[in-house]
Amino acid sequence: MSCFDELSAAEIARGVAAGEFSAEEVARASLDAIAARDGEIHALLQVTEELALKRARELDEMRARGEKLPPLAGVPLSVKDNMNLIGSRTTCGSRMLEDYESPYTATCVQRMVDAGCLPMGKANMDEFAFGSSTETSYFGKTANPWDTARVPGGSSGGSAASVASGEVTLSLGSDTGGSIRQPAAFCGVVGLKPTYGAVSRYGIVAFGSSLDQVGPFGRRVEDVAMAMNALVGPGADPMDSTSQECPVDFLEHLEDGVEGLRVGLVPALCEAEGISGEVRGAVRAAAKALEDQGAQTIEVELPHIDDSIAAYYVIGPCEAFSNLARFDGVRYGYQEPGCATLAEQSEKSRAKGFGAEAKRRQMLGAYLLSSGVYDRYYYKAQQARTLITRSYAAAFERADVLLFPSAPRTAFKFGEISSPTEMYLSDMFTISSNIAGNGSISVPVGPGPESGMPLAVQLQGPAFKDRRLLTFARAIERAFEAEGAVAPACARKGGELA
Amino acid sequence: MALSEYDVRAIAEYARIGLDDEELREMTAYMNDAVAMLQPIVDFDPAGVEPTFHPIGDLSDVMRADEVRPGLELEPALENAHATEGRLFRVPSILGTGGLS
Repeated sequence: MSCFDELSAAEIARGVAAGEFSAEEVARASLDAIAARDGEIHALLQVTEELALKRARELDEMRARGEKLPPLAGVPLSVKDNMNLIGSRTTCGSRMLEDYESPYTATCVQRMVDAGCLPMGKANMDEFAFGSSTETSYFGKTANPWDTARVPGGSSGGSAASVASGEVTLSLGSDTGGSIRQPAAFCGVVGLKPTYGAVSRYGIVAFGSSLDQVGPFGRRVEDVAMAMNALVGPGADPMDSTSQECPVDFLEHLEDGVEGLRVGLVPALCEAEGISGEVRGAVRAAAKALEDQGAQTIEVELPHIDDSIAAYYVIGPCEAFSNLARFDGVRYGYQEPGCATLAEQSEKSRAKGFGAEAKRRQMLGAYLLSSGVYDRYYYKAQQARTLITRSYAAAFERADVLLFPSAPRTAFKFGEISSPTEMYLSDMFTISSNIAGNGSISVPVGPGPESGMPLAVQLQGPAFKDRRLLTFARAIERAFEAEGAVAPACARKGGELA
Repeated sequence: MALSEYDVRAIAEYARIGLDDEELREMTAYMNDAVAMLQPIVDFDPAGVEPTFHPIGDLSDVMRADEVRPGLELEPALENAHATEGRLFRVPSILGTGGLS
């Protein structure tokens, strides 16, 4: 029999519906692959075996009763450990939440489970999503499945690695400044950051509330499209006041092709300092592949895009400081015992519960929001945000999508970037679409000729045109024959469908 | 003007993040590096540009009638707390004397 990691989400769902294998058999194959592969990768912080088997048996019973199965029936899923799921802990990769039991289930997770997914486990992440390498997790690093001496990217590194290693078929991550797209690029999988508001954030531990967005990872564009249908299909979420109706079928135009459509290239970005030759080559090759399929490439400018990183590292830390103020050791989270006063308990609990980067971001946010400083930074960063958003609007008057690098280079080695501010530049190509809120996707284009590590490009689209991104991503996937690739060292280790 | 360790200590007290002396030194170096990285925002001259506080500011919020609906039940709301009393979270003294008795 075949290994389940060779199957697409649609093939798994079809196989379960047709009785070729049961959902429980798929769950056990995924558990077997996790057991065989995750010791070295450490993509998952918890394996939620009971929840996965329970959901699988429900689906198998539905089939036995002759009921119609949901579209992702039996598809193994991991979710980033900042997403609540009843029956699991939600740690955010932090000592602060080491013992935190999810009191409810996040809407995005519930919708995936309702669509038939099997919740296999909770994926490792940079602590509270502060990072670009998954090195800051309190529970240890995640390795890149393509080369375990290298980082998987971050902050959703566990999500990307669990898909790249073939332990699961789909994963959910969150993206505040590139935390889906950059690890997707480093691990050679597809990662979509939908437009802000397209996917509910209810039940996600907040980092930057005006920047955070949940999105799917998969090894195929089609898998990601199916996940998006599950995430937005039921409509706006009344539990999230920023949740918007998004009434589209993401599979509908997947194979339409790109003939006659316009791809915007931003020369200043492609020539930016610090970008590797391999990444430049990947963008050129992707542009040519789209031209070969009938798209037209044009040069566009994005004025003010250079201010994105500075604007982000004002807005992000300010929002994080506000959001993480709730971790005071009273209602949940680490609590320092034996304190005489509430203030002492709060200060000591936060000192011991948070790691270094979580403290840095909150300290920066606290400073930037302080009296006399706010006007020089926070307010002006929000003015810059207006101009960045207008730049995008002007660019999308001329181009249907923009083609960017996903990251300046391929996955780096553990410990290679030790300066926090240097690490922040890992997100130089992704941050701007969190600032403006529009959707963007990272799609693999095969291993780099020099590094041998996955290379990727990023497509950005106008707000609420995420389906168009998937059409373009599918065109790139076709050209580079990159779909479905499991990291070679992991492929077929365990995971056989009995 | 560079931030001093004295300044950073004051910010840490405001943020309720305890720092030991070594952490204070490292944090002060970080804060100055980070603030230097943000200089483009200080240099930015956005005269007359309206700020965007939210990426979907031009779309309407999802509103509902102001009516009571079921929320998180008491038991799961309290299950992660270290100390509770009846329906309440229990905390040490707020004003200063004595811890949890």
